[in-house]
Amino acid sequence: MENMATRTQTAQRPNGSAQGKICQFKLVLLGESAVGKSSLVLRFVKGQFHEYQESTIGAAFLTQTVCLDDTTVKFEIWDTAGQERYHSLAPMYYRGAQAAIVVYDITNQDTFGRAKTWVKELQRQASPNIVIALAGNKQDLANKRMVEFEEAQNYADENTLLFMETSAKTAMNVNDIFLAIAKKLPRNEQASGASASGQGRRLAEGDTGARAAGSCCK
Amino acid sequence: MAVATFSQIDEYGFERPTTFDYKTYEDFMSKYLRILARRSKRWEELKESEKTRRTNILKRFVRKGIPITRRPIVWMSISGGQQAREQSNYTYLQLKERISNASINETIEIDLPRTFPDNIYFTKENILPRQLFNILSTFAHQNNDVGYCQGLNYIAGLLILATKSEEYSFWLLKVLVENILPKYYIKSMSGLLTDLAVLDELVEINEPILHRHIKAIGMPWAVTTTKWFICIYSEVLPIETVLRIWDCIFYEGSKIIFRVALTLIKMHKAEILECKDLADIVTCFKSMAHNPKVIDCHYFMSRIFKLPGRLSNKQLEELRNKHALAK
Ligand SMILES: Nc1nc2c(ncn2[C@@H]2O[C@H](COP(=O)(O)OP(=O)(O)O)[C@@H](O)[C@H]2O)c(=O)[nH]1
Ligand SMILES: [Mg+2]
Repeated sequence: MENMATRTQTAQRPNGSAQGKICQFKLVLLGESAVGKSSLVLRFVKGQFHEYQESTIGAAFLTQTVCLDDTTVKFEIWDTAGQERYHSLAPMYYRGAQAAIVVYDITNQDTFGRAKTWVKELQRQASPNIVIALAGNKQDLANKRMVEFEEAQNYADENTLLFMETSAKTAMNVNDIFLAIAKKLPRNEQASGASASGQGRRLAEGDTGARAAGSCCK
Repeated sequence: MAVATFSQIDEYGFERPTTFDYKTYEDFMSKYLRILARRSKRWEELKESEKTRRTNILKRFVRKGIPITRRPIVWMSISGGQQAREQSNYTYLQLKERISNASINETIEIDLPRTFPDNIYFTKENILPRQLFNILSTFAHQNNDVGYCQGLNYIAGLLILATKSEEYSFWLLKVLVENILPKYYIKSMSGLLTDLAVLDELVEINEPILHRHIKAIGMPWAVTTTKWFICIYSEVLPIETVLRIWDCIFYEGSKIIFRVALTLIKMHKAEILECKDLADIVTCFKSMAHNPKVIDCHYFMSRIFKLPGRLSNKQLEELRNKHALAK
């Protein structure tokens, strides 16, 4: 069975104080089929890895919360299907997203090419201030590497993308890449209520929809 | 009876998740086993010719469920699979020999270990993944417009589990994709996009308040229902329910997909109306599979012919034409 979206509890702390900020961001994962998008999400959200991860049809939705300084950052994660023909459905997942992780498989040069296509599409079509991260996944298979670290790093630098090589299998850099994204996302007061313009949504006190985890910053 | 009567593996080889609700299943099965026995007896009483010829009697029988052991033969005859097989210029074995395109095969290979990893018959050591490959690749090679589309792996996989026949599964997959379902799987997925728009309109007609609520939250139907259409509910609803749905689809065609969709949506109207945002709705749609009313496939199937009201092939065709043109 596919993973259920994780439900988190209602925020317990009062939300008005300076140290209790909660931000909610929409993040989308894009990339060729079988590069490890679902596996990265599963590692990040549940700390698990499945040798045989089910293929994703359409898209899957999960949530996870991280803590950054005094802020609780809640990610709403859209994990998409990779096959080319599902491409026409992708815009509805990256529309309004504040962050994207474009994934390729370091053992497969084609997937890196496809990743670049996704980056271009996001730069053209997604929210202008979207934070894009590039993940070179399956780093544990570095002995079968087909994409050089420097090549990807240079490409990322040229396009001002965050870049890390990751491994959903060993967990290397998985939390780190999400955290790095969280750090780059706007968490200031002005972000409040500005989700439509590509900014994080500050959940207002008493917001009935405030389902972000309450206790992780304690 | 103790709740532990049911094993951790179901009769089709799926591992039951740790969260499996044995109590609900037990309640349902204790009733359903009697129904199955009765239906099986009724099928035995049918004349031989009545068991496969498309008549109103058979249609009624199919709606009440085809007995497990009869499914392969009955599916083949009511769907046109048998006819396609007999009228084809090539046998399945001949078609299978044409498997050659490396890039198609590679794409399929990637999905083999990712198809039903929670099913004991689909582990590497078994022959099912090989059979699945044969079916998908043979199909892809004889239909260039479709080739291989992710999602077909689940359909073909369930076909093998239900028919235990590689060849039947191939012909059933072929009639499903080429005759029964509109252009869901071709490269543009245009049939899927059309049917998502048709679903939107049907919900608007049937449940205007619900429709407004979903619109206000801003949920595109593709987000929650792509898998409903693409996998025809396999990997979405409990397997017994899926097979009963497929019984009807093979007989009555793709409008059954809408009957099921509308029934699911109507059954969960109150829950959907309580949803505050997209995250809520996605969770709500996912939880539908765990509703005892959906697990009880016999009850559920009786509802799909009542709850959504009238839905004729003609009406569906008109809606499809309208939305196909609108793009
Ligand atoms: N060795 C290795 N395998 C991985 C890694 N991430 C994913 N995989 C495997 O690659 C396959 C495809 O992964 P999946 O998450 O389904 O890819 P998706 O199609 O992009 O969602 C699965 O068999 C995973 O077990 C990784 O970091 N290292
Ligand atoms: Mg996936």
